[in-house]
Amino acid sequence: MATARGATKAKATVKVKDPAPVDAPPDQPIPARPAPRPKDAPLTIKDLRLARAGKRASRAKPVTNVLREGLRLERVPDPSVLVLFGATGDLAHRKVIPALYHLWRTNLLPHEFILLAIGRRDYDDDAFRQEIHKALHQYSRLLPLDEAAWRSFSERIRYHRLDFADANGFETLSARLDSFDETEGTRSNRLYYLATQPSQFAEIIGQLGRVGLDHEKHEGGWRRVVIEKPFGHDGVSAQKLNREVGKVFRESQVYRIDHYLGKETVRNLLVFRFGNGIFEPLWNRRYVDHVQITVAESIGIENRGAFYEQTGASRDVLQNHLLQLVSLVAMEPPATFEANALRDEKVKVLRAIEITPEDVSNDVVRGQYAAGWVGATQVPGYREEPDVDPESETETFVAAKFMIDDWRWSGVPFYVRTGKRLPKRSTEIAIQYREVPHRLFKDEGVEPDPNLLAIRIQPDEGIMLRFGAKVPGLGLDVRSVTMDFTYGSAFSVDSPDAYETLILDALQGDASLFTRADEVEEAWSIVDPIIDSWASGPAPAFPNYDAGTWGPPEADALIERDGRRWRRI
Amino acid sequence: MPTRTPTSDADTPATAETPPSVVLGEPVLRWSARAHSIPEIETELAKIWAAQDLTVETDGEKSRHVAARTSVMNLVVVARRPELAERCAATIQMLTGRHPSRTIVIQSADPDGPSWLDGRIEAHCILPREDAAEICAETIHLICGGEAGRHLSAIATPLIIHDLPVTVWWPGEPPLTTAAARDLLADADRLVVDGSTWSGDGLDRLRELASMLDVTRLSISDFALARQSRWREAIASVFDDPDFLPYLRSLRRIAVTYATHDESGAAGSTNLVKPIYHVGWLASRLGLKVVKTLSAVAGPARPASGGRVRAGTVKPAVGRGLAATLTDGRAEVAVVIRPVVSTVPAGTTLRVELLAERRGSELRADVTAEAETVHMRVWQDGVEVLDRHFRAPRRGEADLLAEAIESGRRDPVSVGALRAAAELIGASEGRT
Repeated sequence: MATARGATKAKATVKVKDPAPVDAPPDQPIPARPAPRPKDAPLTIKDLRLARAGKRASRAKPVTNVLREGLRLERVPDPSVLVLFGATGDLAHRKVIPALYHLWRTNLLPHEFILLAIGRRDYDDDAFRQEIHKALHQYSRLLPLDEAAWRSFSERIRYHRLDFADANGFETLSARLDSFDETEGTRSNRLYYLATQPSQFAEIIGQLGRVGLDHEKHEGGWRRVVIEKPFGHDGVSAQKLNREVGKVFRESQVYRIDHYLGKETVRNLLVFRFGNGIFEPLWNRRYVDHVQITVAESIGIENRGAFYEQTGASRDVLQNHLLQLVSLVAMEPPATFEANALRDEKVKVLRAIEITPEDVSNDVVRGQYAAGWVGATQVPGYREEPDVDPESETETFVAAKFMIDDWRWSGVPFYVRTGKRLPKRSTEIAIQYREVPHRLFKDEGVEPDPNLLAIRIQPDEGIMLRFGAKVPGLGLDVRSVTMDFTYGSAFSVDSPDAYETLILDALQGDASLFTRADEVEEAWSIVDPIIDSWASGPAPAFPNYDAGTWGPPEADALIERDGRRWRRI
Repeated sequence: MPTRTPTSDADTPATAETPPSVVLGEPVLRWSARAHSIPEIETELAKIWAAQDLTVETDGEKSRHVAARTSVMNLVVVARRPELAERCAATIQMLTGRHPSRTIVIQSADPDGPSWLDGRIEAHCILPREDAAEICAETIHLICGGEAGRHLSAIATPLIIHDLPVTVWWPGEPPLTTAAARDLLADADRLVVDGSTWSGDGLDRLRELASMLDVTRLSISDFALARQSRWREAIASVFDDPDFLPYLRSLRRIAVTYATHDESGAAGSTNLVKPIYHVGWLASRLGLKVVKTLSAVAGPARPASGGRVRAGTVKPAVGRGLAATLTDGRAEVAVVIRPVVSTVPAGTTLRVELLAERRGSELRADVTAEAETVHMRVWQDGVEVLDRHFRAPRRGEADLLAEAIESGRRDPVSVGALRAAAELIGASEGRT
């Protein structure tokens, strides 16, 4: 908007000189090369035409709100309605609504805010509020509940019954949203949050477009849509969904959520890499031997057998969380800390990973857990879980070696693994440095391990650096010691939940931590060949690891044949 | 909330404090000792951490629990009165978990008597959660009698943890131009004050504070300015709207209404630091230069602006306030700072009004605040176009101190606001 206004202003001041005659006599001296035009020179007609067509911003200085500079408080989003589709579902109760309550409690939602909960159940506003109150008692990260904050928050909640297939229902929805602008001052700003089954995304978006709920208004009134993962079932379905979404919303209006990107430690990864001068010079093939990324879960599929049968570990975690972590670790520094600059660099990493069918057989391992013990609890095997096919070939574990074919990482393997029913819940990125070039202390005691930098995402968020130190005494024994930074002890404050961060960002219009369409498609282009190769190959010998172990032996072999081993987490 | 009763299984010195039950997330006194010289204090500090392995009793069972000293900075508090020292110490304890620091609270006593030093060394610990290590931070309370109380730097410097930043919190009236203050601040990284508590109109001290920007490398945090963040948020949000943004460079009038208890409106009767900071902030952000410094508006006392001001009880007849003129290089910007008799604390801002004119069109913004909310209204050519409430409660001292500590290096916005405020009141002049 600022640029457009600037362009209009510039248009009023343009002066076009008479062009030089093209038929000037040949004996006329060759004119000197024109001096470069000063920055504040009037724009040419071509500049203005391009600027008007949106192809190039005019050179007029954009007007910015200088009063915003240096404000330390989080900017409170514009007055708005958050339209939550799937409001009676598990995700809404566990994550989305508690996140909104916490944002409200910390005054980070506008006073003129409405949560319009959409569901098929026959609730009224009060019945839905009661259900949410119960859910908050169960899922809020800050208990006991602040009842005063809850009371004021509950006044902002409305329930709207809607069948997504009902065209008339969306007309009614549109009218109700307009009424909020009149009665609640929500100023025509809407955030549509799709917390429904993925199969309903396209239908809802189509209906929103049909009744014009996607239209942003000239006098203000933004429209944004948040789409939960999984975004597509494979590359083809993701492209199709992107097309469906693109028919209604512009890419800048679309916020594809991967909650891992909202986690405090993941966000800190960017600060750690690009806010400290000492690590980035060591962040390349010259010093790094390999990288390990682990997303381990001790839980099973938690009564989501039907869902998990359709996804498996590769679609559930590898395609999104794990590849997001890989791209954040491997990306080049973006030119600015701005959504597209950040996402451009992440996409480049994904494009630099190539997987062939041969790579799949050599460098990718899948597994499925059998019955076993996790902690002190005996747990059933995957095939004995409810809603799971007793002959299921769905993988609950995947480990892979990726090579990133770019200047920085050429020859440095990235080992990734994720699985259900592993011994503990842990997500970690480990940067394993090369050994020292010359072993000065090889005859003395225990040879120290090479340096290691471990970034723990969860639990016990923190950063650990391992290095060698001399053991006190007369000899020259060297032993590995660690410098450990834990968020819990350095900042004894509660980190916001990832959903709080991401919802606030979406309300603010900051897409940095959301996934762009091309990012999703590039991630599928890595995972698709793996799934296709498995589908066309022989049936796996499942189950192949016991619950409570670190996956099948083939996963160990995958890394050990390179002379390395998985970190003991 | 689970409670645990810690005991010490180390050699318990005679000065050890019997620790009370531990409540998760709440700071608890785990150690207390007394000393009467700097070397004695250093010895006691070392003893605390020599006995850092503490046994914690949970539901009748003993388990080992390591308390870790954590310091991210040194915090020196200069408190002139005992009650001020206690209040500051309590505020700092609330930050143990968020910003564990070595805190040195210095209080002077009996300045004309003999020199003496009485030190109380304490360790406060906080258990963030059941399975975590305790975080502990030290507080050293010093009462300095006689001549010793005038050598603040000599007392604080040996007790500072090296390589950590030093923040000096000087509540009350900091004598910024004295040698004692100069010496103490020479080794500090940040000075924290509260200009809204200064006596009189507070403007002389505001000038002194601004002059420190030129002669030191100190970062300065003034609670009076920090408290206005909710106002600034509301004012800035007016111009987030692209339709109103062009008006930002065409401001023609800034009016700030503040509360006074003095019906005569006599000069110097009410602290003016907060209202002046509002103008200073706007002037610095918008690059406005001072044409005419603040001076009393001539003329008879005017009736108060009555019912338009919601906070407090308004009475008629006060002074006409102060006026100044700024310029944006193209046109002049009138500044009015006017008092209204009110029951809210004197010096509190009641209203900020902005008037902008652009190409024959007028934009007027009106911002008021109450305990929990800030209310902003905007009129364009006489038609109300915006009416917003922000839920933004007044901020407490602990929160303001935490912000001051977190802000690191010199904050250009604060520096700009302070410099502009000083220019507005006439940095090199006497009283306005």
